[in-house]
Amino acid sequence: MKNRLKVLRAECNWSQADLAQRLEVSRQSVNAIETGKYDPSLPLAFKLARLFETTIEAIFIDENG
Amino acid sequence: MNCLTNNTAARRYLRRNLITMLLYALSLALSISVFLRYHPTGLVAWLLAVLPALPLTGLLAIFGLYLAEEKDEFQRFIGVQSMLWGIGGTLAVTNIWGFLESFVHVRHLNPILDAVIFWIFVGISIPFLLGRYR
Repeated sequence: MKNRLKVLRAECNWSQADLAQRLEVSRQSVNAIETGKYDPSLPLAFKLARLFETTIEAIFIDENG
Repeated sequence: MNCLTNNTAARRYLRRNLITMLLYALSLALSISVFLRYHPTGLVAWLLAVLPALPLTGLLAIFGLYLAEEKDEFQRFIGVQSMLWGIGGTLAVTNIWGFLESFVHVRHLNPILDAVIFWIFVGISIPFLLGRYR
């Protein structure tokens, strides 16, 4: 699924490792989500939304919507 | 799973794995030495024969514990996929080998090797799986 994670991360000036540390996941996980190759679960998507103080819809782009 | 990540769950998995492999080596050495020296029969022989298989079976439970304790869902996903590759690979190899045994009479494949084949497929699949999501 396409997402704005890279942009949001850049706005915060965070590396993938920084974001991974904040999410308590591995850097590989952040990279897999960011490149759209792995879709996170709902709890992790909510965690991302809370971290960037936004909504899930503002991070992930529903291409069918 | 330490090749995936270096968190608490992975470190626990590695420690449990090393202890279990040590138990496997000890139980195998014990069974071989007792069979060679005392030629046990009956229940003792059965128990000694099964003894080395228990730690190997335990490795599966340890992998299950890792999956239960791993908080990173992506690493769990990779772990589960690698297990599927292990199961699929083992079934494919043993199936092919079984037909080869039946038709062209190749050497018998000892089922003890199934566990080895399984973990080889699991181990090989992990870097490929991680490469897919890079």
